[in-house]
Amino acid sequence: MRLPVLLAALVAVATCTETFVGHQVLRVIPQNDEELQKVQELQELEHLQLDFWLAPRGLGLPVDIRVPFPSLQAVKAHLEAAGVSYSIMIEDVQALLDEEQREMLRSSRQLPLNTDTFNYEAYHTIDEIYNFMDLLVAENPNLVSKLEIGRSTENRPLYVLKFSTGGTNRPAVWIDTGIHSREWVTQASGVWFAKKIVEDHANNEGVASILETMDILLEIVTNPDGFAYTQTTNRMWRKTRSRHSGNLCVGVDPNRNWDAGFGEAGASSSSCSETYHGPYANSEPEVKSIVDFVKSHGNIKAFVSIHSYSQLLLYPYGYTYTAVPDQQELHEVSAKAVAALSSLYGTQYKYGSIITTIYRASGGTIDWTYNQGIKYSFTFELRDTGRYGFLLPAKQIVPTAEETWLALKVIIEHTRDNLY
Amino acid sequence: ELPPSQFPASRASAVALGYLCYLRGGPGRGLQLRELRRARRQDIDDVGHKYYLELELEDVLDKARTVSCTAEVLYHLGSKTSAPDVQVTVQGELRSTEEADQEFYNWIRSLEKELVAENIPDSHGNVPPELEPIHLLAWVASGYLIWQNSTENTKFHLAQVKHVKQVKRSDEDLQFDYVVLLHEMVSQEVLPWQVTLLWHPQRGARVSQ
Repeated sequence: MRLPVLLAALVAVATCTETFVGHQVLRVIPQNDEELQKVQELQELEHLQLDFWLAPRGLGLPVDIRVPFPSLQAVKAHLEAAGVSYSIMIEDVQALLDEEQREMLRSSRQLPLNTDTFNYEAYHTIDEIYNFMDLLVAENPNLVSKLEIGRSTENRPLYVLKFSTGGTNRPAVWIDTGIHSREWVTQASGVWFAKKIVEDHANNEGVASILETMDILLEIVTNPDGFAYTQTTNRMWRKTRSRHSGNLCVGVDPNRNWDAGFGEAGASSSSCSETYHGPYANSEPEVKSIVDFVKSHGNIKAFVSIHSYSQLLLYPYGYTYTAVPDQQELHEVSAKAVAALSSLYGTQYKYGSIITTIYRASGGTIDWTYNQGIKYSFTFELRDTGRYGFLLPAKQIVPTAEETWLALKVIIEHTRDNLY
Repeated sequence: ELPPSQFPASRASAVALGYLCYLRGGPGRGLQLRELRRARRQDIDDVGHKYYLELELEDVLDKARTVSCTAEVLYHLGSKTSAPDVQVTVQGELRSTEEADQEFYNWIRSLEKELVAENIPDSHGNVPPELEPIHLLAWVASGYLIWQNSTENTKFHLAQVKHVKQVKRSDEDLQFDYVVLLHEMVSQEVLPWQVTLLWHPQRGARVSQ
């Protein structure tokens, strides 16, 4: 039908100033000359502001009329008084236009054909990010591979991108983003990091030299169920989407579910809490899959888990005031990393151990990885400091990723130069 | 003396800032913390903990300039129902917003239908430019909530304006009924709060009980 075309034209008008709230489209099919005349009379009544989508052409042929809300009563009375029957084709033109506009926006999100046309300055859906990963692998088969390390509660695949120029089980750096699903700038930065690694390698600069002796492992959507939920239902969802028997509420805080001070002060035992630690350590497949991967890999030398917001660089511990043995070195590396980050746009970061800098938190990721022997374990809290918080404007994605990358390079280079 | 990078001082700063936003914020002025320069804590027997802070602030609409201020935040001992006492002294002048305030006031008063809006910013961080003053007034209202509800174990930020409805009044004040989402950093909860804000270009803002 011509309807979509007509609607598209109205959308163009509607996005200016006119509104079509309450307008209806009526259809009349004149059966005889009297009825046809009655309908033609309507065309003369300019004050009614009628818009004939299908003008009167002859008997038995439909006449479609868009009637502005103020004229509805008059038009219907005119037709009814003459015994002319009509049907209401569109009950509310504006409602239909709104739906059409939404649909247009949805379908205009066509999948990019390559990672050069991908829009890094926007937030993306899981499908778009997973598609990006496949494109990146396809474009760089000798550098990038995609590993499925497990499945989420809702059976979404958990993918890790492995950047490697060869060797067998080289020492590796792990980076994860999106473990807390509402922290959207982190998944978006992860996508940017992936592309950056590939670009550096192609141009033989930046981390290209790192890749000669080390691998980089990047999990971009670490909590896909939560991420999907932030897009469909609740933008502020943080946890996983698991349901454990006997629990009133859904979800476990994946950054309280690790086996380091599990269940101690700094996490909640209530399932309805945002910091619920879960029924037992590694109860969450999103966490267990990383634990299994790290243990079986056996050669990860740096582990960076990325969150937002607050502009902080943190090292262990969160579950105890006891300082880690490597405190001094981690503090110095943090200072250097933060200085590198600030050098780009002047963004100010603070740094220190989790428990002294933000709060006591038990069962956290980097406490576990540190205790596994991964000395260079860090957590970032990216932009900003509260003005937008979790709702960071998309135009800040690339600047955030760029400055964070400088800090990551400091950590990665230090790791390479101090292998243990 | 407290390290500025550690959380006790940073939580007290958030309270001071909330209080200041309530007192001095408006549709044309949003204050945020550029840097916490110095912090001291004094434990007062039978009274509570008092923080002395030296802050550097910036106006989000005029980031080239900063303004220094000192603040004192007293958390009352064991008190769950009493708001912290806050005193703030701003050194120097804040940028004048007289013209922008009057323009905003006239615009709202000229609306035939009461203004209604939702989700500011939206999921992608967007705020339509004409709604930025409404967003900044939400900061004022949130500043009050943050000041009134903070303890040494909390740190609040405005996460989002879920809903705002203007209510026309017979007097000269503008009235906005807000539902704001406040993010509490320690518990990580994001919870809705209802708050009604009255504002007048010369008289400033107050939360209506």
